Amino acid sequence: MSIEEYIDKADIEARKRALRVFRERFREILEQIKRGENPTIMLPKRTLANTIYDEKRKLLLLGPEKLSRSFFDLHESKKFMQTLLMARIIYEALERNEYPTIRDLYYRGKHTIVYREPGGRKHEENTWDEQRESDSVIRDIEVFTGLLREEMLILSKEKGKVVGNMRIRSGGDVIDLSKMGHGAYAIEPTPDLIEFVDVDAEYVLVVEKDAVFQQLHRIGFWRKHKAILITSAGQPDRATRRFVRRLNEELGLPVYILTDADPYGWYIYSVFKIGSITLSYESERLATPNARFIGVSMTDIFGYKRKKPYLTEQERRNYIIKAKDADIKRAYELRNYKWFQTKKWKIEIDIFLERKAKLEIEALTSKGLRFLADKYLPEKIETGDWIE
Amino acid sequence: MSKVQEPLREKYRSMTPSQFFYEHRELAGFGSPSRALYQTIRELVENALDATDVYGIMPRIVIVVEKLEERQDFYRITVEDNGIGINPKYVPQAFGQVLFSSKYKLRQARGRFGLGAKMAILYGQIKTGKPVEVYTSPIGFTKIYYYKLKIDIERNKPIILSYAEHDNKTLWHGTRISVVIEGDWSRARSRVYEYIKRTAIATPYADIVFIDPEGNMITYWHSIEKLPRPPKEVKPHPHGVDIEQLKRLIRDVKAKTLIEFLVSAFQGVGKRSAEAFLKWAGLDPGLDPHRLNDSLLGELARKLREYPKFRPPSAESLSPFGPEIIEAGLRAILHPEFVVAVSRRPKAYEGHPFIIEVGIAYGGEIPLSNEPILLRYANKIPLLYDEKSDVAWKVIDPRSFNWKDYMVVFPAPVAVLTHIASTKVPYKGVGKESVADVPEIEHELRNALREAARKLRLYLLQKKREEEAKRRVITFVKYTPEVAKGLATILGDIDEKTVQEMLLSAMKRRLRLDDEEFAKLVQGLEISIEE
Ligand SMILES: Nc1ncnc2c1ncn2[C@@H]1O[C@H](COP(=O)(O)OP(=O)(O)O)[C@@H](O)[C@H]1O
Ligand SMILES: [Mg+2]
Repeated sequence: MSIEEYIDKADIEARKRALRVFRERFREILEQIKRGENPTIMLPKRTLANTIYDEKRKLLLLGPEKLSRSFFDLHESKKFMQTLLMARIIYEALERNEYPTIRDLYYRGKHTIVYREPGGRKHEENTWDEQRESDSVIRDIEVFTGLLREEMLILSKEKGKVVGNMRIRSGGDVIDLSKMGHGAYAIEPTPDLIEFVDVDAEYVLVVEKDAVFQQLHRIGFWRKHKAILITSAGQPDRATRRFVRRLNEELGLPVYILTDADPYGWYIYSVFKIGSITLSYESERLATPNARFIGVSMTDIFGYKRKKPYLTEQERRNYIIKAKDADIKRAYELRNYKWFQTKKWKIEIDIFLERKAKLEIEALTSKGLRFLADKYLPEKIETGDWIE
Repeated sequence: MSKVQEPLREKYRSMTPSQFFYEHRELAGFGSPSRALYQTIRELVENALDATDVYGIMPRIVIVVEKLEERQDFYRITVEDNGIGINPKYVPQAFGQVLFSSKYKLRQARGRFGLGAKMAILYGQIKTGKPVEVYTSPIGFTKIYYYKLKIDIERNKPIILSYAEHDNKTLWHGTRISVVIEGDWSRARSRVYEYIKRTAIATPYADIVFIDPEGNMITYWHSIEKLPRPPKEVKPHPHGVDIEQLKRLIRDVKAKTLIEFLVSAFQGVGKRSAEAFLKWAGLDPGLDPHRLNDSLLGELARKLREYPKFRPPSAESLSPFGPEIIEAGLRAILHPEFVVAVSRRPKAYEGHPFIIEVGIAYGGEIPLSNEPILLRYANKIPLLYDEKSDVAWKVIDPRSFNWKDYMVVFPAPVAVLTHIASTKVPYKGVGKESVADVPEIEHELRNALREAARKLRLYLLQKKREEEAKRRVITFVKYTPEVAKGLATILGDIDEKTVQEMLLSAMKRRLRLDDEEFAKLVQGLEISIEE
């Protein structure tokens, strides 16, 4: 039995497609050279200035600015070479049925070009020195080929976890996400190769904090409330974002996101919802524009107009943490982003800046895990007390 | 006339020139043993050069400095040349009488005052008691003459200690002179070497051999066959005269009328211009010049200096190096990557013609420095002392000259040679070490420097372009293997070699290089990839 037979069909299909796209895209470069032109790779610019918030679709997208990276341009020549080098390594890995990580790719491509100048001086130059450089080249290849790294079978560390009443097929196995014991299913780096088999849930709850996720899991929150429970364990990786997006898009499940009540938590939410600035080219596939911020919100803590706070005066005194200068600075930054300029977010940010107070989700479990699971979350969902 | 009573106790006496310079020897550069050693070499070498290149002879000069056994600080300095020699009947005076010279003429020479050799002899004599010894044979003479002399300081007369004649079968011509002085070699050493080096820069047509007291020998062989144009003796220019000179000129000519006198005594003055001048000055052309009283003489001298329409002074009396010699000299000694020199057209200040020359040497073995290295010359002799007070420094100083405009950014490897050739170099002092800032000279120096620096700029610009082209090509070529491999691997239907060739030809097209130029740029470039 050949090794291929152990490999998932979905993998093989993905590889074939990626290989084909590579050949097509790089054929264009060869044609330029054949015509005696300056070989040029056209890429959208990956800068904040070229990041556009699409208000209609509520997505952070790459703008129209293009960068042309030409081989016969003194300042771009090396990057051009790096791009071809990285493309070759990825291509070879695809052909050989390998699953490199970005670190593997860094090492595979790192070597020394030794050259002796006509004057006799010997120079040594590395194709790249730090992983930061090779990572950036990978991003360039993603935008050039239109393939995400997952589609090129490049792996990264698994970070996100999921449990819930749901069965999936991955690598030929059917996995029941309701039978994970105290553990959880680690969301694989290639979530597009997952097939949804069946699901019995009403919504998706994403928790920023791994600890809170575990607590909710152990008291059977997802079973009782018919939820798919997910944690991103901090800043979400691409796989978690893609997985959440698929749950929303393909299964029509509403997505609620629970983070700390501070600018850092808000940004995590916005990455799920509209995409990140550094990876804005992937927003189209990774972002979940319908995601809702369930809390913890400033109005949950302090109340607002007719809304009563969830915390008493005493609890506030116990749980609230004083905002640091960095938090305040970050809040001012967020206030400048278009996508935070809605009425409800303005209220949130203003309360924060006025009170200079932040709160961790754990504060709610301290008040009582049951309070969080059976009162706070269901009540907010029922009454529509979230921010869109 | 009323007689004034002389104060009783004041004593008066007169001094001969030899006594004067004996007492004030530091004025002529003989103030200390180390300075005296340097100055002696310099005076003798300059006499040797004056006796050669001016007369169309390619100089061969041997300089030997020996330490004497008998006393620590006694040195014998011997300089031999292949010059025109000295007529034996003048040898005693030439070396034994202060202010005796064959160079009191209106023509450029290194020596001027009739002083140099005698100062060395005098200084040696009073410090060591040793006489000077001279061998000489003028061109065409069948004998070599030998003199051993001292100077009678009181009377400024030579004392001949011995005399001899030798056969000259090979028709050798030239002079060999030896003096013994008190010196300080260890302190003079670096100056002496610098002096000889700078002399060699200015005389790339000369062979110079130097043997120092430690027995080291250095040689500078000629790198060019061409000699500088020899200076011609000229009549004075009317702009440069004063009453005394006017008197002397009148005494020396036979002219009966003022107009005849002007035409015969001055350069560039013909009948018509003399008439025009006299009309302008309101003087009668028929006056007998020998009968002019002092006030008329004064008037004439002043008018001569002020009349604006005389032809500019003739430069025939000058002997500039010429660009070829400057470039050869800088190239041979400094080993730069680039040299350029300019000789300006003659100009005049106060009736004295002068020519400014500037050479620039750049790169190569010239060390980096925060300011230009300055090599000053006046009438072909190097000036070593008091550099910063010289007009040449004032002109090239980076604080006043914008080197950046010429693509020179300090620290830079740049040396500037300046030369002032004139029948009268305006030295700041008797020491002949720095030149005063006469506006005309400063202006010309600046023009010359600009002219030369513009050529340097063109060179540097061209070089920068070439370097950029080379850097481009090297960058592209060194990345080519990786790019070709990438494309060949991904596309699968084309091999690496073919892609490489295609890339190279696209590259040549892009950089507008033909095969030959391209080959030149990448010649010797080796690339390997260590995976
Ligand atoms: N090496 C020499 N060859 C020919 N003539 C010489 C040489 N050295 C000196 N003389 C003659 O001796 C004269 C006096 O020399 P010096 O005392 O140095 O005064 P200066 O060089 O100013 O005339 C010179 O003018 C020259 O005629
Ligand atoms: Mg002399």
